[in-house]
Amino acid sequence: MLTFVVRRLLLAVPVLLGVVFVVMLTVDLLPGDAVTLMLGEHATKDAVARLRDHLGLDKPFLVRYLDYVGRVARGDLGRSIQQNRPVGDELADAWPATLQLTVAALLVATVVGLAAGITSAVWPNSLFDAMARLGSLFGLSMPVFWTGLVLIVVFALWLNWLPVGGAGSLGHLVLPTVTLALPSVAMIARMTRSAVLDVLREDYVRTARAKGVAEPWVLARHALRNAFIPILTLLGLQSGQLMGGAVLTETVFAWPGLGRLMVKAIFARDYVLLQGAVLVFALAFVVINLLVDLSYGLLDPRVGRQG
Amino acid sequence: MRALASRLVGGVLVLGLVASLVPAATAQKRGGTLTIVRPTDPVSLDPNLETTAPGAWVYFNMLEGLLTLDDKMQVKPALATSYEVLSPTKVRFKLRPNVKFHDGTPFNAEAVKFTFDRALKGSPPARWASLAGSLDHAEVVDPLTVDVVTKEPYGPILRTLAMYCVGIVSPTAVQKLGQDFSRAPVGTGPFKFVEWKTNTHVIVERFNDYWGDKALVDRVIFKVVPEEGARMIALQTGDADMVLFPSPAQLPALRKDAKFTVHETTGIRVVFAGLHAGMPPLDDVRVRQALLHAVDRKAILDNIMEGSAGPALGVLAPGVFGYKDMQLDKVYPFDRARAKALLAQAGWTPGPDGILQKGGQRLSLSWLAARGRYPKDGEITEAIQAMFKEVGVEAKVQILEWAAVFKQVREATLNHHMFTLGWVTSNADADYSLYALFHSKQTPPTGWNTSRYANARVDALVEQARRSLNQTEREKLYGEVQDILVKEMVWIPVYTTKEIIVSRASVKGFHVHPVEYNLALWKTWLDK
Repeated sequence: MLTFVVRRLLLAVPVLLGVVFVVMLTVDLLPGDAVTLMLGEHATKDAVARLRDHLGLDKPFLVRYLDYVGRVARGDLGRSIQQNRPVGDELADAWPATLQLTVAALLVATVVGLAAGITSAVWPNSLFDAMARLGSLFGLSMPVFWTGLVLIVVFALWLNWLPVGGAGSLGHLVLPTVTLALPSVAMIARMTRSAVLDVLREDYVRTARAKGVAEPWVLARHALRNAFIPILTLLGLQSGQLMGGAVLTETVFAWPGLGRLMVKAIFARDYVLLQGAVLVFALAFVVINLLVDLSYGLLDPRVGRQG
Repeated sequence: MRALASRLVGGVLVLGLVASLVPAATAQKRGGTLTIVRPTDPVSLDPNLETTAPGAWVYFNMLEGLLTLDDKMQVKPALATSYEVLSPTKVRFKLRPNVKFHDGTPFNAEAVKFTFDRALKGSPPARWASLAGSLDHAEVVDPLTVDVVTKEPYGPILRTLAMYCVGIVSPTAVQKLGQDFSRAPVGTGPFKFVEWKTNTHVIVERFNDYWGDKALVDRVIFKVVPEEGARMIALQTGDADMVLFPSPAQLPALRKDAKFTVHETTGIRVVFAGLHAGMPPLDDVRVRQALLHAVDRKAILDNIMEGSAGPALGVLAPGVFGYKDMQLDKVYPFDRARAKALLAQAGWTPGPDGILQKGGQRLSLSWLAARGRYPKDGEITEAIQAMFKEVGVEAKVQILEWAAVFKQVREATLNHHMFTLGWVTSNADADYSLYALFHSKQTPPTGWNTSRYANARVDALVEQARRSLNQTEREKLYGEVQDILVKEMVWIPVYTTKEIIVSRASVKGFHVHPVEYNLALWKTWLDK
């Protein structure tokens, strides 16, 4: 078990190195550079040259890459080009907000999605099932920025129940959470419905029913436990999806998270800050995947024994 | 030499005692919190690191320079009370006594010297150093007298020192805070810094020891709301009192709604279609004049800009020092017959496809433009393209991403006849435009003479105006430059930007400034 975890974490190192390389190369290839954007269109050639030199931007790409990796290995994420502030501080400011939003959305998506999916599976083709399927279709097809604005108009402008945007109170969290969770609710509900329906057709469920096990017990002990493996995979993927989706949701709701920080860094061609943010995202992905893999073992004892 | 001597005599000008003595207005209320929503978070609150709007809007209320520009674009005293031109490269300023920085440090000549040394001699130099031209350093004469020295005679010095980004900083605070100063600046202005939560808000509050009229509101919160729709809703729900960058589409409705006030004024950016005067057939002045006659600029203003921009009356915006109304609408009225006649004079005759031709060559112009860099830049380019066609001129428009357009127009050779650009006279002095845009030595990559305009007389005039510190003489010289330019037009000026800010009707006493960055909030009060 421990060697499994250690091996997986070590494998993350080349992944992160690759991620940094690709991000840095992309920023390098984009037209426009940080210095021109900072000094503006009217800057003198001399000023541009001096700032490039100061920031080390005149060094070759590979030298900059190795420099950066070396510094990160020593725990130094560098200073952001635009704000000249430690990237660690910037990330520490933004990370909790994104975590809060992602976790809240994941919780809502899981609880609502599972409940809707199980209900649909137990009473397939009922009125509830039809409504849930329609709702899922809606949730999946509506873009986040549109749902977000509609929710703002209804709950902030017309009803005046919730704030328009920003962070601070629990009330501020409601609309962005709902907006972000909606597509995931739909995905999880559909996946749960089909997984539970499949399992309910299995022989062992029929056996359980035949030997007189009560229906709720059949559902909880036999059906759900087995249906949960594909759902868990989906949850792992969804948490990544939610972090990515947070970029748009954070913009619509003025939520001060990592997604906004990243967008800002891209527009400013601030590759130091961008890499810091991408590293955090990549690391979070690695950890979530690891957790999902570990929990397979808890649900299905066979998984642990094979490794 | 005599001209120089005469400039030295009687150079003393008293700038006036107090910025303005507001009459003890009856209705003004003190107190309350003014909440402003705008699209982006500042990069920094230190002008050394940021000269763009998101930071400038905030620090303009905390940091003051020696001089300032009022909303009529006149130079007014701020931390200096008077000045005297000692030599073409040296101006002496008397400083305002009994002024304190927000941290209690007394303001004096040392602070001025410190601010300039930090910005101009530091490594890397301040972001605003590029805007400051020949400004070199300051010399302390006594605690309340300072000499500002330029590398060479520099006429725009006063407006340079009045720029929003040349604010004097507290030396003790810079030394104490180090790098953190950029997130918590300390100046002498009517508001002092309270808090900056990244991507959420910046809060400033009234500075009670301010030397002048104290701010009327207790505090100002600058909130970040990136989404335009959400910004407008925040204004409607009352979550915000004022919105910067309002949605242009909603302006007509907001103007009619008594719950809101639309504050607007003519800005200082001119958006134009540039003509490459060095490339045939545009090297023929008659062809350029014909193109001006071919464009219905009023139709563009009415139908495309829909009230969100003002007419371009010349190559400069009206608020800029040295501006002269070039009377473009009289000299180049929209007149297709005259356009055609001028083209005929230049030897262009109608061809089989309706496009004019000369010696087998079609009158076809290649045109470089971006979409979204300036308001409606793509749309106006397409409109003018259609208008050209009416007089037999073909325009082949290439719309690229701004960074790609920027790269091409900044290169030593430009392979396009035309380009859509905008120009802000950053220091509000004609030098910044007329020198950089029309001096024959200022072609890219050195300067911004993208039209490759060359006229020895214009070169001599703009050089003379740059070296003179006599503002009356300078204004005359710039007038002469514009008289020459209007005859040889190398631009089709299309519009002058407007600065537009929308507030709730309860926001009183606010005046929008022609310079976007000069968001002065100390006279604003809340009637609620």
